[in-house]
Amino acid sequence: MSSSRKPRLRSVRRTAVAATSAALAGMLLAACGGGSGGGSGSGAASSGPVHIKVWAWYPDFKQVVDQFNKTHKDVQVDWVQAGVGQDEYTKLKTALKAGQGAPDVVMLEFQELPTIQLTKGLLDMGKYGADADKGNYVDWAWKQVSDGDHVYAIPVDGGPMAMMYRADLFKKYKLKVPTTWAEYKEEAAKLHAADPKAYMTDFGSDETAGGWRQGLMWQAGSRPYTYSASKLPDIGVKLNDDNAKKVYEYWGDLVKNKLVDTQSYATTDFYNGLSSGKYATYIAAGWGPGYLSSVAKATAGKWRVAPLPQWTAGGTAQGDWGGSSFSVTSQTKHPKEATEVARELFGTSQAAWKIGIDQAYLFPLSKPILNGSYFGDKKYDFFGGQQINKVFVTAANGIGSFDWSPFQDFAYNTDTSEVGKALQGQTDWSAVNDNVQQQVASYATKQGFKVSR
Amino acid sequence: MSLLRQQGPPAAVPLNQPVTSEGPAHAAGRKAGRRSGQLSGRTRHKAMGLLLVTPFGLLFAGFLVAPLAYAFWLSLRTSTLVGGDHFSWFANYKQTFTDPHFLSGVRRVLVFGVVQIPLMLGLALLGALIIDEVTSRLAKVFRMTLFMPYAVPAVIGALMWGFLYSPTFGPVNSLSNALGLGKFDLLGHSLMLTSLGNIVTWQWTGYNMIVLYAALQGLPREVYEAAKLDGAGQIQTALRIKIPMVSSALVLTLMFTIIGTLQFFTEPRVLEPTASSVISPDYTPNLYAYNLAFQYSEFNYSAAISFSLGAVVFIGSYLFLFATRKRSGLK
Repeated sequence: MSSSRKPRLRSVRRTAVAATSAALAGMLLAACGGGSGGGSGSGAASSGPVHIKVWAWYPDFKQVVDQFNKTHKDVQVDWVQAGVGQDEYTKLKTALKAGQGAPDVVMLEFQELPTIQLTKGLLDMGKYGADADKGNYVDWAWKQVSDGDHVYAIPVDGGPMAMMYRADLFKKYKLKVPTTWAEYKEEAAKLHAADPKAYMTDFGSDETAGGWRQGLMWQAGSRPYTYSASKLPDIGVKLNDDNAKKVYEYWGDLVKNKLVDTQSYATTDFYNGLSSGKYATYIAAGWGPGYLSSVAKATAGKWRVAPLPQWTAGGTAQGDWGGSSFSVTSQTKHPKEATEVARELFGTSQAAWKIGIDQAYLFPLSKPILNGSYFGDKKYDFFGGQQINKVFVTAANGIGSFDWSPFQDFAYNTDTSEVGKALQGQTDWSAVNDNVQQQVASYATKQGFKVSR
Repeated sequence: MSLLRQQGPPAAVPLNQPVTSEGPAHAAGRKAGRRSGQLSGRTRHKAMGLLLVTPFGLLFAGFLVAPLAYAFWLSLRTSTLVGGDHFSWFANYKQTFTDPHFLSGVRRVLVFGVVQIPLMLGLALLGALIIDEVTSRLAKVFRMTLFMPYAVPAVIGALMWGFLYSPTFGPVNSLSNALGLGKFDLLGHSLMLTSLGNIVTWQWTGYNMIVLYAALQGLPREVYEAAKLDGAGQIQTALRIKIPMVSSALVLTLMFTIIGTLQFFTEPRVLEPTASSVISPDYTPNLYAYNLAFQYSEFNYSAAISFSLGAVVFIGSYLFLFATRKRSGLK
């Protein structure tokens, strides 16, 4: 889910005071209070349960925490909502740099793990038995969180991608549900010709959509990084192979012909487009249905889910956007108990997952839940009673492995800037990948990596 | 005039403060010396003076000197993701002044300032001259309304404008649509600097106007009468008398504005999530320093950028003061 709620909650936070001051103040408070908070648990020792501080931003997470606390005697979870996505990472990185103030367990998206791991912010949970969970999770997800028998996180949810579309609009304009990207473009032209105010979708050109663009490249077969923490300082960086270029040339073409909108994903204008019928499709991930049904309530019953269009007819290539996990930070004073919390908050617990699936639209990566009938057969009124998880589960099982770089924020930001330049007409769409490659590779070199292409 | 001249320098060079605070201690010592035994009285009062200065000194050291020193120390080191941490002298500074991201940010705020600053101060001056001339109830209302945006926190102001600029909901676009002018992408590439300039102008014009208005109020009224006797009209009085006489206040507001512009941060930061393909992480030097530290964990380089920006601001404002002091004939 991760990025799922990111855009919406972000805008709410912005209203609060999202600017730096709040983040900084929170961070300082966290830094000051952290010492005593973490200390009190160990100081009181022997008497009473160990308290583990958890940072997470899942909606309705409180129920999951209550569920955990009710079923555990020696360990109790203290949950803190420390901000969504980048907001939380900023706090975490600062606390790790400061040497105190980090929680025991923290929710991290997959792409963030190598960065925090490299700066020695994560505990190797393999030493505390986490390796035993390997069989519980789908293969590609376990590869995202581990390196041999080193385990840096326990997967929670994923973001296998699919296409959501407005069945009513498709019917109205006599559009065919596209199965290939070529068809997608044809239908986009048909729709826009029929109603110049409508677009096939919105091309997320902003930073919050960095994972979306990466997910589409993942599907196209691009594997930009070859990285393993055990092979430092070697890293492979290749952001401009033909598969990656294909994706930007395709979307650049749609943008140039004004067949898709270019609104930022984190704006009210974008939510409005989803609910007003301005966008006929929304290409999203396994957490997307929850996001969509909360920002576009008025369109309930009109949406359906179809597999992601393919580059070659009949193909089954899949991509992933987002996905979260629980990591134990290196600052924890209770590595054993923190690992237990990370493994069992969701884990294979039917009760916790029932809350996660029903309330938070989490997409489970835990095999017994993912392939279980409760999840697979669930019907969604918002999607006209469709069993949408059948589409997503197929996608989830077809996702290949993927390495993230340990400087993913930099890579996403650079990508966003270059896409911005292309939108502005300053650079050609075919040059975007080359420019990103050049900048990311030079950044990596400067950071001490031995970069190979 | 004389009053205004006093206002200038201390504000411009705040570091003078510790020196001046020692002044009264000396004076007190001398006075006391006359009353009771010279040496003991003087030392006692000197100690007293030091004691009184201590709270300030502690705060000054704790909240200004120490963080600055730490940041400077940070800026002289280099720590990379893989290579570890080492002392690198001025390598970060060397990198700063050849970094296209930093330089493009500086260039951007300069371009921004060249257009926005004269516009805003011109409006502020015009407003101040008008409310100085008109002494009616209306002037009071006018003064209050123009000043009001300054009372709105910058973050809230920027958020509010972000919504006003929205292509779907924003009144600006509804209006231009209704008038048949089509859409303006106020958060797009071509208009972003203008949109930001509008927010800043909205926020700060009233503040500057009040400063200039206060200066105008301080002018001796007899001068106006003399001008009137000489046959000067209102416009001539304004151009030939009022504006030259408040020039030092103008210099002051101009300098604050230049400093503020070079440190441009809040508005682009608040609009960044709505338009992150337009407002890049290096959009302004200050934003760049922030993103380097808190997103890329490049604390060392970020510290160097901050110091370099500080140097640019310091040298820039000093040169500006130097140049205007000669030209405005204040000496």
